[in-house]
Amino acid sequence: MTPADHRLKALFAKDAPPARDPAFSAAVIERLARRRCLQDLALLGAFSAVGGLALWGLWPVLQPALIAVSERLAPTAWALALAFCAVAVLGGLGERAPAVES
Amino acid sequence: MIMEGLDESLVAAAQAGSTQAFSRLVERHQQPVRAFLRRACGDWAAADDLAQETFLAAWPRIGRLKAGASVRAWLCGIAYRKHLTSRRSAARSRTRDAAYEAERIAPAAGALDDRLTLETAMADLPPDQRACVALCLAADFSHAEAAEALDLPLGTVKSHVTRGRARLLIALGVPDDAC
Repeated sequence: MTPADHRLKALFAKDAPPARDPAFSAAVIERLARRRCLQDLALLGAFSAVGGLALWGLWPVLQPALIAVSERLAPTAWALALAFCAVAVLGGLGERAPAVES
Repeated sequence: MIMEGLDESLVAAAQAGSTQAFSRLVERHQQPVRAFLRRACGDWAAADDLAQETFLAAWPRIGRLKAGASVRAWLCGIAYRKHLTSRRSAARSRTRDAAYEAERIAPAAGALDDRLTLETAMADLPPDQRACVALCLAADFSHAEAAEALDLPLGTVKSHVTRGRARLLIALGVPDDAC
């Protein structure tokens, strides 16, 4: 490397950004996270729209079937709900409260 | 080399979906990418914006980076293409800004220091030549690495560097001792 090249390099080096710049890195990662979040939201929105349209199209077929099924399953659903509540309440009473350290 | 090995492992992790590894790559390579863009486009704020855009564009493309390839050359290649795109799309406003800058700097021309002279001389270089100078003279890229990053033939890079260097030395009034 010649002295002229050294001079050029020294002049260029004066304008160099810092070797470590957490603010810059954080800004990039923040923008990346925001972009991924927006992509996820767009994907979820698209899925929801497709699902909603499908449900709307199939509703005339689904509605009678759902009514028939729900009438038959109502007693079983009630029994399951009561059993679940009983287990939750009795299981909750059985748990000991955490000891408070003095 | 240990640093290149670290790059390779970070790239492999980022290719597997690790944003933490990509974040480390950003930390490690932000300086050369930003320095290159500052020298290639001259506007520091715009250069930093383009550098952020470069890393954002690099993330979804990192799967295409071949094993053992130079990460900084790959990033500088993306940065250069971003720079050229923004240059084309902002051609009108840039011309207006350049006219304004020329008027603004002109009265203080006698007091220009070497850095400003260098900046002005760099601004006068054609974009390809400027990019080659920014990589090879300022950032220690080999000619082959710069050719890969800028997608230019090796001979073109060599001639761009030689001509650009000569023009910068003339502007600075430094004798070219390589001749």
